[in-house]
Amino acid sequence: MTLLPWKRMEREAEAQPSGFEELAMPLLPALYNVAMWLTRNASDAEDLVQETFLKSLRGFAGFEQGTNFKAWIFRILRNTYLTSRSGLAAQRTVALEDEMDAGGGALHPESAIDHQTPELNLLRLADKAALTSAMEKLPSPLLEVVLLCDVEEMKYKEIAAVLEVPMGTVMSRIARARAQMRRLLEEGQRQSKGFSA
Amino acid sequence: MSEHISSATYNALVDGELSAGELAVAKEHLDGCAMCTSRALEHALLKTATAKVGQRYDVPQELEQRMRLLASQQVFHSSTKKSGSAASSSSGMWRPAFAGWAVAATLLVSAGGLGLMELNNRRAETASMQSASLVAEVADQHIATLANTLPPQVISSDRHTVKPWFQGKIPFSFNLPEALPAGTTLDGADLAYVHGRPAAQLLYSIGKHRVSIFLEERTSGAKLPTVTAEHSGYHVVGFTSGDLDGVAISDVDPAKLNELVRTVAGAQVGR
Repeated sequence: MTLLPWKRMEREAEAQPSGFEELAMPLLPALYNVAMWLTRNASDAEDLVQETFLKSLRGFAGFEQGTNFKAWIFRILRNTYLTSRSGLAAQRTVALEDEMDAGGGALHPESAIDHQTPELNLLRLADKAALTSAMEKLPSPLLEVVLLCDVEEMKYKEIAAVLEVPMGTVMSRIARARAQMRRLLEEGQRQSKGFSA
Repeated sequence: MSEHISSATYNALVDGELSAGELAVAKEHLDGCAMCTSRALEHALLKTATAKVGQRYDVPQELEQRMRLLASQQVFHSSTKKSGSAASSSSGMWRPAFAGWAVAATLLVSAGGLGLMELNNRRAETASMQSASLVAEVADQHIATLANTLPPQVISSDRHTVKPWFQGKIPFSFNLPEALPAGTTLDGADLAYVHGRPAAQLLYSIGKHRVSIFLEERTSGAKLPTVTAEHSGYHVVGFTSGDLDGVAISDVDPAKLNELVRTVAGAQVGR
């Protein structure tokens, strides 16, 4: 029995692809998309994806068949990003205080709770440019949870395995990321109203 | 349920993370609370809209081809082995007609030639990608060292302090040159990992420029490709000496970097 967090024994019975190419190639679009969001640069994103493929290919012998390959390879991508130039730069520019919940404190600080009126944002949610801009303004620790949760549709447990943080931290970051996106959307809406007035 | 739904519950609700019991309680409240229903709808819409906007970048075709080639290396090696064994088993089938032999031999030579060409092409591509990967990894580690506010794991300009520090930490030994080029000093060293294998990261200064030299034991399995490259303004020089592979990186003048590399490589001879 393994203690690996991405293990999913219940899926073992199903016929699954087992070769690296079969497992990795379908995830290439997702890996590249996340790499682009994180690095904001096509060349760095390509380097990041290529490095991820090389590392995972080298470590594939140690990957336990039937376990969660997606979480495994995304974890390699994320760790590779953290040691890359753009990852180091992002870490230095972001001061993240969400580790307060790691010790069992309040999971959702007051700042993460949305106090806005829903009507305000419903209009902005249809505005693709405003949403893209809001996502671009998220610091990388919040952006990565949004990408893994909303875009990649990973469960909190899987995200915790990718990010190597407790599930409480994942929940806290998701709450804060969404609250920040709402604030950004609201600010954008206020600004556009100001311009039109 | 009288209290309104919390922000945490909205998130868990739209992310499908509520347990059956929690979901039932939330639904019961939503049935009677227009404000919470509206908020829940907004949370769901935000998630859906984010998912759509988040799917923003398409993989460049050229990258996809490269990654497919890389990913297929494992398959390719196993398939070459399989086809090799198939060929040897079919050799037992004796056909008396000479023409048949000639055709088979021609086909075999052609197929072998094509296979060899393909293998060489793939090897060249893989070697090129491995070199690029090595350069990127070494550059990342060097930049991380420069960015690090902590001192090296062993700080000393004395080679007799730095070398013994690695005893028991890496599965090989190396020499440090007694005399360094003018203006070059040894700052210390770190234990590093290059391509997942232990390496000695020697830290030098040439004037105000910092230099990292990674030394790794050469094994029969994988070795550091010998490279000379530029990466993000840094010069990267690969070298081999004795049974060690090395890679040096710095933004110093390439001639000075090469001089240091020659000195370090020369120290390994006759270990």
